[in-house]
Amino acid sequence: MQTTHSQRLGLPNLGLGVGLRNQHFTYLMRNDPQVDWFEIISENFMDNFGYARHVLERIASIRPIVMHGVSMSIGGADPLDWNYLNSLKTLADFVQPKWISDHLCWTGIAHVNTHDLLPMPLTEESLLHVIDRVRQVQDFLERPLVLENPSTYLEFKESTFPEWNFLSQLAKETGCGLLLDVNNVYVSGFNHGFDPEHYIRNLPHSSIVQIHLAGPADCGQYLVDTHDQPVPTPVWHLYKLAQELTGGVSTLLEWDANIPDFPDLVAELNKAGPVLNGAVPETSIHKLRDADVVSNPVDFQLAIHD
Amino acid sequence: MTDQSLKLLQSWMTSVVTERGGLNDKLLWAAERHGLLVEDVVTETGGLSAQKRLGIYVNGYVLRLLECMRADFPALRTFVGDAVFDAFARAYIIGDPPKSPSLYDLSARFSQFLQNTKPDGRSVDPGITDLLDLPAEIARIERARAEVMRAPGIENDIASAESFLSFAMFNQAHLFQQTPCLRLLDLKFPLVDFLGQLARGERPDPPGPENSYVAVSRSNYHVHNREITFWQFTFLNACQVPVSLNSAVQRTADQCGFEPATVLADLMVWIPLAMELGYLRKVS
Repeated sequence: MQTTHSQRLGLPNLGLGVGLRNQHFTYLMRNDPQVDWFEIISENFMDNFGYARHVLERIASIRPIVMHGVSMSIGGADPLDWNYLNSLKTLADFVQPKWISDHLCWTGIAHVNTHDLLPMPLTEESLLHVIDRVRQVQDFLERPLVLENPSTYLEFKESTFPEWNFLSQLAKETGCGLLLDVNNVYVSGFNHGFDPEHYIRNLPHSSIVQIHLAGPADCGQYLVDTHDQPVPTPVWHLYKLAQELTGGVSTLLEWDANIPDFPDLVAELNKAGPVLNGAVPETSIHKLRDADVVSNPVDFQLAIHD
Repeated sequence: MTDQSLKLLQSWMTSVVTERGGLNDKLLWAAERHGLLVEDVVTETGGLSAQKRLGIYVNGYVLRLLECMRADFPALRTFVGDAVFDAFARAYIIGDPPKSPSLYDLSARFSQFLQNTKPDGRSVDPGITDLLDLPAEIARIERARAEVMRAPGIENDIASAESFLSFAMFNQAHLFQQTPCLRLLDLKFPLVDFLGQLARGERPDPPGPENSYVAVSRSNYHVHNREITFWQFTFLNACQVPVSLNSAVQRTADQCGFEPATVLADLMVWIPLAMELGYLRKVS
């Protein structure tokens, strides 16, 4: 365990972790987890009382758990979904997570849920709207909410804030934490032509409680957040920068499609330590035909286990 | 340039992503409905057009949900083939966009959709008329399996962990009830063996139409698909609420036209298995 105890918003540095995925259940029930902590997709365990819950109970008894959601729609114009939030809180009561996170995004409107992390118009109206909703959610959950920067593929002409500024204002006004996905910064920077280092340098580093690592896909004119490849060299460089600026926060490797065996996943995660000492792996970005690409893959959530 | 509120922009983009048709059709429809043109909404940078940028979300929407549906219905997909499965799943996704925050709910109405959209029997080869109900029936049993996997079970139920002796059922103090992880299906085809063969990678001939009764249940986190008899199906249905065995036996006998003693004798032999497979639990 590499857990240290520097506190941000009262939240510890948990060390190096991975997502708890169905494909690894059998391995994890028979072997030492080898990682410091796990992140779960909250929706995958809400109202689920089968084997997944049994595995979660076992893992939560031996490692810290963080709950990471994809359906809060904190930026959505629909009213907050209190049924969803009640289920989230019920799961939190069971799991006792170190923190609960979701994304700066919306998922649909008029009760449609696209199950995608859709981009926010970064306007004054949006900022005030999200500030109000984050406060409501934090009051309800009785803990700080941690929000992640998503990968985006379009920007709205109405936007008046750069994303790093929007997140900074949001953190300042609500006291929420930030989950900095350095892969998403890299993907969005490539897609919109901003400097990812500038983005990271201009965030409030004391609000960052967690970093996500992942591997994107190169579709030629744009990058897509596919979570299905090793972490490429430029993303490792951003990770090193972010850890230097924050002084060290919890690190999570996301891998949600073409999921490798657990030992191989851990081997990829364990590259994070040497990176901080300058040993950055030489890994190129995987090239794909764009017709085959799905951002934010979710099929792993429903893989059958029996 | 129009006044673009958060709600208007999100309504416009949701329409573009979820409406049927190609991207140009979607954009025309969204412009008509919301009064926004793509060139007024989306920034173009780096040589990537606004349409191309929107297309990433549009394509991802269907493909992402399609992958979930493929995971939910492996046997149906094998039976009808990838192309046919994908065509129906796409139509289902476009026609009934998800509203639940949980992807588990995505496939809940797929069987009904297949039933509602099956070809008219008069328009197909008479040789396959009998099979038109088969895809929806396979979807029913696969959906039941998914429900059973997630339902509250009896794995931590102390009373269920005790070995059950048949003579204990004569204890009038005991009430019995279906477990929450039991689904009872009245099917138009005998599907249990057929699905087992598909799961083993075999290519069996499809079964002919014939009523069958199936219990999908869970014990020790293993899901069981078992064909059951009509009297067993009737008995388990009689146990939807806590009930004494005498009462359930009487109701079963009445509905099946058997003598209660006959049901009781068969039950003596069968009930330990029913308990072991997670069909029933004792309740206080």
